[in-house]
Amino acid sequence: MSSSVDEPLDLIRLSLEERIYVKCRGERELRGKLHAFDRHLNMILGEVEETVTTPEIDEETDEEIIRTSRRTVEMLFVRGDVVILVSPPLRTA
Amino acid sequence: MLFYSFFKTLVGKEVAVELKNDVELTGKLHSVDQYLNVKLEDVQVVKKERYPQLLAVKNVFIRGSVIRFIQLPASDVDVQLLQDSCRKDNQSGKGR
Amino acid sequence: MVHRETEARGPAQPHAIMAATLEKLKDRVICVITNDGRNIVGVLKGFDQTTNIILQECHERVFSTTAGVEQVPLGLYIVRGDNIAVVGEMDEEADAALDLSSLKGDHLKPVIH
Repeated sequence: MSSSVDEPLDLIRLSLEERIYVKCRGERELRGKLHAFDRHLNMILGEVEETVTTPEIDEETDEEIIRTSRRTVEMLFVRGDVVILVSPPLRTA
Repeated sequence: MLFYSFFKTLVGKEVAVELKNDVELTGKLHSVDQYLNVKLEDVQVVKKERYPQLLAVKNVFIRGSVIRFIQLPASDVDVQLLQDSCRKDNQSGKGR
Repeated sequence: MVHRETEARGPAQPHAIMAATLEKLKDRVICVITNDGRNIVGVLKGFDQTTNIILQECHERVFSTTAGVEQVPLGLYIVRGDNIAVVGEMDEEADAALDLSSLKGDHLKPVIH
């Protein structure tokens, strides 16, 4: 086994047990520790913080307000088909 | 097969399945298959006042393709084992 | 694979839970939630490996927040598996105890893939 990165999934493999950022469909963002993944990008994340962004129209002013809600989940399975992008942790050495 | 095997270890445990129509169901995991279709027992809709459609339903079959997230009981997840089998899987699975 | 100790549990074939589940539900009343958010209740008469389902004497339950549940008779339906989100096993006693005419609830949202 080498730690060379020549395929996208190699980069994800190197992020195992690290906190990653996952952007999902439906304006959902997750930050959590990557415990497992497969080639569909199904994942298990731990200590997850989920942020959901929903645009709402203020009925009085007709302006668009962006509402964000946050929740934390201890252990979460994420189905790969909702994943838009995965960002590994920033390595500042 | 990693997640199929993993979910089999959680059979009998309480999970919360969030669907892609924003409905959230809790129940005891009864079974799972390779498509990650799941069957739950003693199911409850989290917002059952808002979505009373399944009030008279005890057991459900959920198509894997409509699942967004599954919240797992963290104490029943062996993170180390999961990580090890994930590394193994992604090594042998290279080039597939 | 991993977790070998639990391999004995679950279906014999990895893809068999759908068939096994529906086999047990034959001639029973089931509740199907479709991907477009509709709720169809009927007697399960048949199915195949792609989850296509035959429902006899089925009706749609239309939920609204302003009035009780409206029941629309549909007759014999074949629902295509791809459009099925959830199949629920109806507890007929619990269902009979529900007062549908005063039960209010939101429309289910469609499944967005």
